[in-house]
Amino acid sequence: MPDDIITELLLRVARQDRAAFRQLYSEAAPKLTGVLLRILGNRAEVDDAMQDVFIKVWQRAASFQPDKGRGISWMIAVARNHALDQLRRRPAAAGMFRAEARDAEGQDPLEQVADGAIGVEQGMIAQGEARRVVDCFATLEEERSAAVKGAYIEGLSYQELAERFEVPLNTMRTWLRRSLMRLKECMDQ
Amino acid sequence: MTQSGDHTPEETPEQRDDLLAAEYVLGVLTGADWRAAAERAQVDGAFAALVAQWEERLAGLNEAYAAVPAADLMPQIEARLFPAPTRARRRWFTGFAAAALSASVVLAVVLWPQAPAPVQVQLVGEDARFVADYDGAALEFALALDAAGEGRDYELWAIGDDGVPRSLGLLRGPVTRVEAELLAGVTLAVSLEPAGGAPGDLPTGPVLATAVLPSVN
Repeated sequence: MPDDIITELLLRVARQDRAAFRQLYSEAAPKLTGVLLRILGNRAEVDDAMQDVFIKVWQRAASFQPDKGRGISWMIAVARNHALDQLRRRPAAAGMFRAEARDAEGQDPLEQVADGAIGVEQGMIAQGEARRVVDCFATLEEERSAAVKGAYIEGLSYQELAERFEVPLNTMRTWLRRSLMRLKECMDQ
Repeated sequence: MTQSGDHTPEETPEQRDDLLAAEYVLGVLTGADWRAAAERAQVDGAFAALVAQWEERLAGLNEAYAAVPAADLMPQIEARLFPAPTRARRRWFTGFAAAALSASVVLAVVLWPQAPAPVQVQLVGEDARFVADYDGAALEFALALDAAGEGRDYELWAIGDDGVPRSLGLLRGPVTRVEAELLAGVTLAVSLEPAGGAPGDLPTGPVLATAVLPSVN
């Protein structure tokens, strides 16, 4: 399984193994590029962000705990965090709105998420944790499930979600908070 | 834009922190809320643990990110993480200083009309002071100190936004020319090193003097 390779490489990178670092780049760069592109929404910022992300990976690899999750999940968390930070620093972010849909294929990301085309179900059925995510999301109302997924996958803010779903900001907050608590109960069972 | 008023009274502080961690991982926070949560995740271990738990819970959603062709950025990443020690430049100083110096004089004469006016940069420390002129292509040092001493060398470093020092070479002799294309605002530092310079990629000795490079006109 490729994820095992990434975990193994990450553990070697934690011991300052430069050869492992190069191989880790080959293994993980396509996925992390996908993450950054999806959240940042344009290729122009992705290359700089990728450099920053891999520098953080090198510097923080020692804090990766293999018993807490898979290597690729840890790396994606680093990449998402970096991309969200970039996004929230953009001058436009102060006004909360993003003009363009940030989906590479030009589709409305939330539609994609809502109809299950995002592939959460695909290829990960064997993974217990992913199976549980899918099952737990299924317990939420469809729109709320799509809002949570849209927030996570696209990095949409409360304000942007409220716009997309045409509900007041406070309603969106309530939706998401209740959904998150429901997900937690379901997943921690 | 704090949200303290939004919470229902029956929420405990623990539940509030857990929700905040979830919102932070989800990425829905903006402005001051985002920055405050990001800072807490750095400094508050209990909060960081909640964040890690939510990252794990939601990791299944990562399948939604499609792998796309990635640029090969490894050369840039490695250059930033592991700046190459400037061995060629060290040999240049030790072996060919005289020849190179006269060559640079010729170049300076030939190029003088086009050269921008150099700026002076003064690296100042408690007991040391180095003065150089920078013309956009090279630093010209007049050493205001005696030689570094038996078995020692002064080594010059540039420290950019990433905070990683890169060696620009050794400072030896009465006048030393260090060719370097530097951005205004970069920090220059001189450290005292064993003869031949720091053995690895980073300074090992005390930093004697530093300065921020002003912009060349």
